[in-house]
Amino acid sequence: MTIEAVSAGSGMRILVVEDEALIALELECLLDDLGYVTVGVACTSAEAIAMGLSTAPDVALVDIHLVDGPTGVEVARALSADPRTTVVFMTANAKRIPEDFAGAFGVIAKPYSERVVASTLDYVAGCRSGRRPLQDTPDGFLLAPVH
Amino acid sequence: MLVTDACRPDNPIVWVNDAFLDLTGYAREELIGRNCRFLQGAGTDPDEVRRIHGAIAAVEPISTELMNYRKDGTPFWNAMTITPVRDAEGRPAYFFAAQADMTEKHRLELAMKGTNDALEREVGERTAAFQAALEQKTALLHEVDHRVKNNLQVISSLMLLKARRTPEGEAREALQGMAERIGALSTAHRMLYSAGDVTRFDLGEFTTDFLSDINAGLDPERTRVEADVDSIAVSAAMAAPLALMIHELTTNAVRHAFPGERVGRVSITARRNGTGMHLSIADDGVGIAAGPANPAGFGRNLVEMVVRQLRGTIAWHEGTPGTRVEIHIPFSATH
Repeated sequence: MTIEAVSAGSGMRILVVEDEALIALELECLLDDLGYVTVGVACTSAEAIAMGLSTAPDVALVDIHLVDGPTGVEVARALSADPRTTVVFMTANAKRIPEDFAGAFGVIAKPYSERVVASTLDYVAGCRSGRRPLQDTPDGFLLAPVH
Repeated sequence: MLVTDACRPDNPIVWVNDAFLDLTGYAREELIGRNCRFLQGAGTDPDEVRRIHGAIAAVEPISTELMNYRKDGTPFWNAMTITPVRDAEGRPAYFFAAQADMTEKHRLELAMKGTNDALEREVGERTAAFQAALEQKTALLHEVDHRVKNNLQVISSLMLLKARRTPEGEAREALQGMAERIGALSTAHRMLYSAGDVTRFDLGEFTTDFLSDINAGLDPERTRVEADVDSIAVSAAMAAPLALMIHELTTNAVRHAFPGERVGRVSITARRNGTGMHLSIADDGVGIAAGPANPAGFGRNLVEMVVRQLRGTIAWHEGTPGTRVEIHIPFSATH
């Protein structure tokens, strides 16, 4: 199955916060296929927050369970403090997301398909560029209630 | 019983019966001429005493229970009714008091309250223990659910990574095919335990997600997959086999029914009927016989295995045009 990159978000800089090496590596390959740039892969909360400060990514894909525990929520709060960064949770642990989503834009439920990652990032790119997205939120992606 | 004289100072006792002497342990001469208050002691409720004084001052009858003390100092619960007796002019002349020992009744009440408190404490402790056990089990369920979902993601990533590093050809296609099968299982699993009834799986909801995934990889000008699937709730145990079956039949049709530049569509239909569920997957392609020989036939084998597992029946029809697969899955009596 091939998934075509959509020009809207081409070149978007993405930070991957994921402690499972295989998932992170495959995600990096997929982001590359889609025409995005992975600026870093972090597997602890400290690493993630430091990389967020040094790279100011456009999008951060954040797993909740990291090497140092369920610290992804704190990471989301820290990264979304920078208005340039859109945080999207990617987790099999959606029950741990607080009501305010810790500043995150939404959540992709694991196990996800590559199609959901592609369409979610396309949707995020659309929202970031200011145009109201024409399509509904993709299946498998849940928007934070504040958005 | 006793009588007091309301006309003499401090309302003294002027008559007592033998029962009162037995109750209090005093001799008659020790009681006559004294006010009843000397029977009171440290355990006597001052509020209740004030209530009695109020009734006497108002010349009204009163019933009360008061802690009094015998001559030997032992307390007893004295239930009494005091009734004023007026003279010809209507002024209070005497007060007549009848007593009963309520000590035993109070002891029983106290014992009952003690038993009740102990029972309530025990129920409270047990409820807390059950609550803690339930919370622990719920946390464990979430942990296991999280682990299964995460592992499915790892397995899928592993397959896709290996596919990326495998030269184009049969091996790569096999790996991608396996990743897609795992993807279908993942979609089914993502829907389990996510909301509401954990024992049920909604086939309609699954098909909607599955359709988005499969159509995202197709050229919409050439091939389309459509679905008309009722919201059918099946047991969670059937989720994985049904997901695999629908995935296999649909991808098979997409892959083999439209060789070359042939345009076509695949439709998935599912309806609940009396004894179970009827599923139909049809395409308007070239048909099985006309398609390229498929020596492995793994997809078809897989489907037949799964149908057998679900105790269902399957029939392959050569249509004009295309192929139509009809499947009946029975629901068990307990469904």
